[in-house]
Amino acid sequence: MSENPENPKRYRGEDRLRKVRWVLGLLRPYRKRLAVMLFAVVVASATSLAPPYLAGRAIDAGILAGDERALTLIVIAFVILTTAYAATSYLQTYLVGWIGVRVLQDLREEVFKHIQKMSIGFFTRNRPGALISRMTNDIEALNQLISAGIVTLFSNILTLVGVVVILVLLDWHLALITFSVLPLLLITSLVFRRYSAGAFKETRERISAITSHLQETLSGVRVVRSFGQEDRHLTRMTELNTLNRQANMKTVYLNATYFPATELMTAIGTGAILLYGGYQVINGNIMVGVVVSFIGYLQLFFDPIQQLAQLYATYQQGMAALDKIFGLLDTDVEIVDRPYAVDPDRIEGALSFDGVSFSYATEAERIGSADQSVRWAVRDIDLDIAAGETVALVGSTGAGKSTLAKLVTRFYDPQRGAILIDGKPLPHYTQRPLRRQMGIVPQEGFLFSGTIAENMSFGRPDAMIDEIAAAADAVGATRFIERLPEGLETQVGERGVQLSSGQRQLVAFARIMLTQPRILILDEATSSVDTQTERTIELALDRLMAGRTAIVIAHRLSTIRRADRIVVLDNGEIVETGNHAELISAGGYYEKLYNAWTS
Amino acid sequence: MPTFRRLLGFLRPHRRALWGSLIFAWAAMGMTVLIPWLIGETVNAIQDGNKPDILPLVGVILGAAVLRLGLTMVRRVIAGKVSLAVEFDLRQKIYGHLMRLELGFFDTQQTGQLMSRATVDLGAIRFFLGYGLIFFSQSLLTVLLAGTVMFFINPWLTVIALLPAPLVVLTAVRYSRQSRPAMQEVQQRIAELTAEAEENVTGIRVVKAFGQEDYQLLRFQGAVSRLFDQSIKSTRIQAFFSPLIGALPQIGTALVLLIGGNAVLNGTMNIGEFTAFYTYMILLSSPLRMVGMALGMAQRAVAAGNRYFEILDRDPEIVSPDDAPPLPAGGGAVSMKSVSMRYSADTPEALSNLDLEVAPGTRLGIVGPSGSGKTSLVALIARLYDPTTGSVSIDGADLRSLDVTSLRQHTAYVSEDSFLFGDTVASNIAYARGEATDEEVHRAAELAQANGFIEELPDGYETVVGERGLTLSGGQRQRVAIARALLADPRILILDDATSSLDATTERAIRSGLAEVMKGRTTFVIGHRLSTISLADEIILMEAGRIADRGTHTELLARSALYGSLITDDREVEPVFIDEEVEVAR
Repeated sequence: MSENPENPKRYRGEDRLRKVRWVLGLLRPYRKRLAVMLFAVVVASATSLAPPYLAGRAIDAGILAGDERALTLIVIAFVILTTAYAATSYLQTYLVGWIGVRVLQDLREEVFKHIQKMSIGFFTRNRPGALISRMTNDIEALNQLISAGIVTLFSNILTLVGVVVILVLLDWHLALITFSVLPLLLITSLVFRRYSAGAFKETRERISAITSHLQETLSGVRVVRSFGQEDRHLTRMTELNTLNRQANMKTVYLNATYFPATELMTAIGTGAILLYGGYQVINGNIMVGVVVSFIGYLQLFFDPIQQLAQLYATYQQGMAALDKIFGLLDTDVEIVDRPYAVDPDRIEGALSFDGVSFSYATEAERIGSADQSVRWAVRDIDLDIAAGETVALVGSTGAGKSTLAKLVTRFYDPQRGAILIDGKPLPHYTQRPLRRQMGIVPQEGFLFSGTIAENMSFGRPDAMIDEIAAAADAVGATRFIERLPEGLETQVGERGVQLSSGQRQLVAFARIMLTQPRILILDEATSSVDTQTERTIELALDRLMAGRTAIVIAHRLSTIRRADRIVVLDNGEIVETGNHAELISAGGYYEKLYNAWTS
Repeated sequence: MPTFRRLLGFLRPHRRALWGSLIFAWAAMGMTVLIPWLIGETVNAIQDGNKPDILPLVGVILGAAVLRLGLTMVRRVIAGKVSLAVEFDLRQKIYGHLMRLELGFFDTQQTGQLMSRATVDLGAIRFFLGYGLIFFSQSLLTVLLAGTVMFFINPWLTVIALLPAPLVVLTAVRYSRQSRPAMQEVQQRIAELTAEAEENVTGIRVVKAFGQEDYQLLRFQGAVSRLFDQSIKSTRIQAFFSPLIGALPQIGTALVLLIGGNAVLNGTMNIGEFTAFYTYMILLSSPLRMVGMALGMAQRAVAAGNRYFEILDRDPEIVSPDDAPPLPAGGGAVSMKSVSMRYSADTPEALSNLDLEVAPGTRLGIVGPSGSGKTSLVALIARLYDPTTGSVSIDGADLRSLDVTSLRQHTAYVSEDSFLFGDTVASNIAYARGEATDEEVHRAAELAQANGFIEELPDGYETVVGERGLTLSGGQRQRVAIARALLADPRILILDDATSSLDATTERAIRSGLAEVMKGRTTFVIGHRLSTISLADEIILMEAGRIADRGTHTELLARSALYGSLITDDREVEPVFIDEEVEVAR
């Protein structure tokens, strides 16, 4: 049940095979296109081999033989094959691109769906950046492998084999001479790829450091200006800029060695062909056209080898990405619907905690340690909340208020005890339909980029615009919305930055108003808003809580006073319950908290 | 083309290196052109059965190849250096200029736009200046040299063989012009997709709370398919142009085979010349393409250059006069005389004809409805903006006569949205005074009530925050920002709604720290909470860009209904019980 995505589970070799097979399985729905593509690859590779051979034939069979007709025929064949090359090459490039992008689209959705299925605990254990990267960067890395990789592999091996066959058929002695440069080229290319992969990675990191520094300076320009710290930022930029230059210089040196070196090898190959082939021609063993063909093929020989060396680097990066993606896909979901779980009809909203204890520690950490040493977030909670009742949870930091709220929404399952809704334990119901009957308002109302209307109808995407307007009106958001240039259609920006914190809260309330939940779970905002907004929010809260069961993690005295019951938590346990007046007169923990404030 | 000229100006400091690399490039090209001719000669020797000539000719070919190796290596290193130096200069220049532009400029610009100029446009320019120009001259030279040699061998055949050449160049220009923007558009789609993924991960609690996984999946699928469409568009361009550019020169080759072959048959050309011709045709296909690509690059570079220079040519509006003195010593007296201010010509005045005298050491509260000019007023004190008319002075010196940096180092401004840099908490606090000791940093954090939560962070003061690090809550960020301002030890401290995200208990605790540091400084406090405002000895009430009233809290409460409606009595409605429960992260 481990949810650690970096956890390798199986043996490496077998594991690799399984993953590669799985990737190939992704191609299955597109096998027709794949077949056409492979056909195009074969034809394109074959036709790309024709020109040097035909040129050689033109010399030997046409020019030297004095056969004008043969020459014309050969040239016609040359033109036809070139056209065929262009056509199949188009088909190949297009289909490879299409299939690659399509497969990645499927894969991306697969990863996305899997991430969505994970329980909340998973999201607290994993950095958002890493999860986002699974859906973006890692997929891009795979793209290189799938689209570029497959074609490079096929077409280059085909070309290579084709060239070898043609050369051996033309003259196997000369072919052996030509092949002798190959090992050298292969080794040089592999060494180059090995070093350059690191060097290029460094340049990418350097440039992204520059970009993020720039981004940050621009977003924080007000702070930079108001503290007069421009020089500091300039110095930092110069540093990053210099590092970038140095990293790039490394690649310049690598390239300056490798590419000229391969050119030299071509020349050596040419020299060897001319020398040996020349003597053979003079001795009458072969014709001069063969020599010309060999020189033409030499270049065709070198490109595939360089590209195959490059493919090795692509393969390694792709596999690394695949490992990460699999780490995620292999992670099991913690909270799954039981087979017997039913979709709840309209629930009444009676809520009971029956001896509930919960710890954020993992199973492994709890097992073997004595009960006393387990860090329980909440412990032995017994609490019955009637349908329609408003309960305020009060307590200091770490008392367990948010944990209780999270258990009700089944973001976590308790290790001991049970939570019951309308007398049935939570696992009795399917999760999503149950949560749709709960209204959860987090402390900082998270908004999605999009319009206000879209955000308000988040829980009910099918809501009509007049329903949305009515919900906005019910929570008192209409006043500020009317003043916005585009009203409900105003874009709220990323995470709702275009709105003030008070406005964001009202939008979050309207969102709840539209779903009409039976149980309201509210984490009251701590940030202060101006007096008018404050009053609007209070009114909205009253409307929201009316007729529903409500659990409020309360921060404001006004809210606490209005609650039917106050539950005071300390250290994960319930220490007091009662209404404001009762608790004050009881003179316990709550009274102390209250006095500390009002003094 | 003035832009093109200006772009070339970036090469001026490196002109010697540039010429050097050009000469090496041309010499290397000379070798590349020479080799096919030598091959042709060798084939002739072979055909003639002239055995003794073959070895020396092959020797010359290898010699030329070795020489080319040396020349190319040197050329690549020099050209690489020039290119990187130009990139360095371009970036330093635009960044330095952005650092000098006044805040008002950034109000009118979108960060994304500026980013794209400083990254994408800069890339296009440096690619052309660093590589495009050299490729262009090198390829052009190859075409000319090869063309000349071919012309000497057979003028007619040369003309025929090069018939498709202009077509190749034109096609390559179009390819280069279309493919890059299409690829950038793909990057843009990827960025949008990333934003969508990010939102889903960071907002997962809301998604789950509403059971809206399917709806989110639909949104994500939308982003995915938009990326798909654009990727296909880009693939199409590549699939169309790339084989075309490869096949077009082959027409020339076919013509050479047919017409040249017949010429050999007729005896007007020998077999060696024919082979050389054929080899030149193979050789030419890549330079022809490069000439076209480089022309496309030049077009993009000019377009990018126009956008780049647009920023560079925008003069900063707030600058220190030459030899401006630093802020004179004093206690922080602030004086504003008939100050009016508007952010741009088409917006109403933010401040109108306002006069204000603040004695050294005063703690001045500023209260007013939103949009009444509170933030504009305090922004003038650090000369973040200049007034449209009137003047602002500190300790008797007109701000416009002073060195801006020195002025800003004596003022500290804390705004409501406390921006922190992606760095450790300690570095953020020590932002304005990099040399501060750990004790000083801790002391400032203590005064700002930030000490407690910082110590509970995974790496304490060394925890990295911001975009790439840990996300702090609004209240935590505000406390770090206050600590940062306190450590700056300013003569004038400005708190612009700086405690709005703190719960009331923390705010009360912070007040004692603030009261302590306010001694001996002039402080401006914008806020609406009673507890915030009670820090001030005197309060101004702002309305529609003017000062409507000035007095103590009691006085204003007694005589202004507006004032009364603006102040929140935090004891009832403000958050009381702190909840900073940190989920146990594993």
